Amino acid sequence: MEALSGFYVMTYRQLKKFSRARSRVIGTIVNPIIWVLFFGLGWSGVFNFPMAKQLFGGVDYLTFLAPGVLGMTLFLSGFISGISIIWDKQFGFFKEVLVAPTSRVASIIGRIFGDSLTTLIQLLIIFALLYPLAGSLSLMGLIPSLLIAFLSSMMFSGLGVIIALKMRSLEGFQLLINLVMMPTLFLSGALYPITTMPYWMKLLAYADPLTYPVDGMRYFLAGTSALQPTIDVVLVTAFTALSLGISSVLFRNTTVE
Amino acid sequence: MSDSIVVEDLVKKYGDLTAVAGISFTVKEGEIFGFLGPNGAGKTTTIHVLTTLLKPTSGDAYVNGYHVVREAQKVRESIGVVFQDPSLDDDLTAYENMYIHGRVYGIRGEKLRIRIDELLEFVDLQEFRNVRVKKFSGGMRRRLEIARALVHEPKIIFLDEPTIGLDPQTRYHIWEYIKKLRSEEGVTVFMTTHYMEEAEFLADRVAIIDHGKIVAQGTVEELKSMIGDEVIYLKLGRGPSNGGSVPCLEASFIKECRQLRPGEIALKVGNAGEAIPRVIELAKEKGWLIKEVRYKRPTLNDVFIYLTGKDIRESEGEAGEKIRHIIRSRLAR
Repeated sequence: MEALSGFYVMTYRQLKKFSRARSRVIGTIVNPIIWVLFFGLGWSGVFNFPMAKQLFGGVDYLTFLAPGVLGMTLFLSGFISGISIIWDKQFGFFKEVLVAPTSRVASIIGRIFGDSLTTLIQLLIIFALLYPLAGSLSLMGLIPSLLIAFLSSMMFSGLGVIIALKMRSLEGFQLLINLVMMPTLFLSGALYPITTMPYWMKLLAYADPLTYPVDGMRYFLAGTSALQPTIDVVLVTAFTALSLGISSVLFRNTTVE
Repeated sequence: MSDSIVVEDLVKKYGDLTAVAGISFTVKEGEIFGFLGPNGAGKTTTIHVLTTLLKPTSGDAYVNGYHVVREAQKVRESIGVVFQDPSLDDDLTAYENMYIHGRVYGIRGEKLRIRIDELLEFVDLQEFRNVRVKKFSGGMRRRLEIARALVHEPKIIFLDEPTIGLDPQTRYHIWEYIKKLRSEEGVTVFMTTHYMEEAEFLADRVAIIDHGKIVAQGTVEELKSMIGDEVIYLKLGRGPSNGGSVPCLEASFIKECRQLRPGEIALKVGNAGEAIPRVIELAKEKGWLIKEVRYKRPTLNDVFIYLTGKDIRESEGEAGEKIRHIIRSRLAR
């Protein structure tokens, strides 16, 4: 009962904070739109020749890109929200939670859960904007895609929490963001297929946790994928469980320096 | 009265650095206990240990009768903490900040709502109930943090530098609330401070800490009497029996009596507060007319200098602390 309370209230906090931070809401929606409009429409002019669809598993480039942009959004949003716990750590709210008698595991899972709900809301808005633009997105595929998106958003949020808990100061923050975010995004197959990557890059792509949510969502939304969708779902679930497990244990055992 | 906090030979080391070097003290139930010392003396470390955020290297500490390591959960349930760093959510309202805290502590529903409103009333923030904290001044934030720490009706409240970074007027205002904490909420207060006047104004008993060691503890009066005598100055008018000249007063509690100039004498005593009524009585017996009574006593700062050989203010202003203050005051804007 008490544990549920900690879970509920941290979810509540993250949702409230999100709804109040208007710039964050606008930012997370505008960013993917810029990608789709300027990057997506730009390239879809290039891929306008006969047979071009074969490059992207039989769909037009925008349809191919749409699940990628959703994946990119859930990755950035999840990861940043998770790592933002560093601000709580730098200031006082972190201690507020640590000093409370409530279950720490429930608190951190509640926080990650709340952040992932906000990510889901963003994804729905972006999907609504993409749907008329991209040629042949499947409405039916939205539900399994959102499920994958929710799980992987928790995975990245947990990953962010793990990194934030291990970081001692804010100094390495920017470097880390660039070092982790760019490669994760480029290797995931969000912007171009994995299938045509050089062999060594493919290996890295398979090690990229973002590859599987993007591929899975692409299967359900665009009807094409590089891997078996079952593999995607199983791996996303496994990665999520691992990420939540590690972040919970780390948070439970954390002390102030 | 029982003891709220018992600390026995507490040591906390960070690698080679000893932050707290074997301190012992007790805090009685219902008192305001001041932990006074310069920045870096080990005050916050002590609070972190007492509030279960840090494990001590050695030694024991009991809060409300519970051991801070072995019974951490019980300790957490029975304490409220206001940390030195700001910990409010700026984007949320005063009510929401308190609501989150209450739920974290397992309070809910009508009971929680009533308690929050009661406490917002207590710190005079009721009219700002639904205003986002980002619009609050530094003093309002502090009051809200104090109110929030009381939501779950803790027996002890820990205040880490409660008025750091606040202007003098606001500081005085916060002091009034801290006094009210005890008189109206009946909680025991453990507070750290590096402001002499804060410890002097608020604390029933004070422990002075420097370099991780308690160098003295006792009531403010006791600490002051450590460094010497207090002096009472009497200005006398012509009394019926003594004519023009004023002879000195003699009594066992008067260590020395000197006539400074005609009609004015200085009495050296141990404790001026206790001595003045007796002096007045003696003077009355002799039929003197007292025109003015003044006395000078050592300040807590004199005590600190006497014990540590430095002014508490000299040891202020470590770079890291300064940055924190700047960040704090920016956030408070």
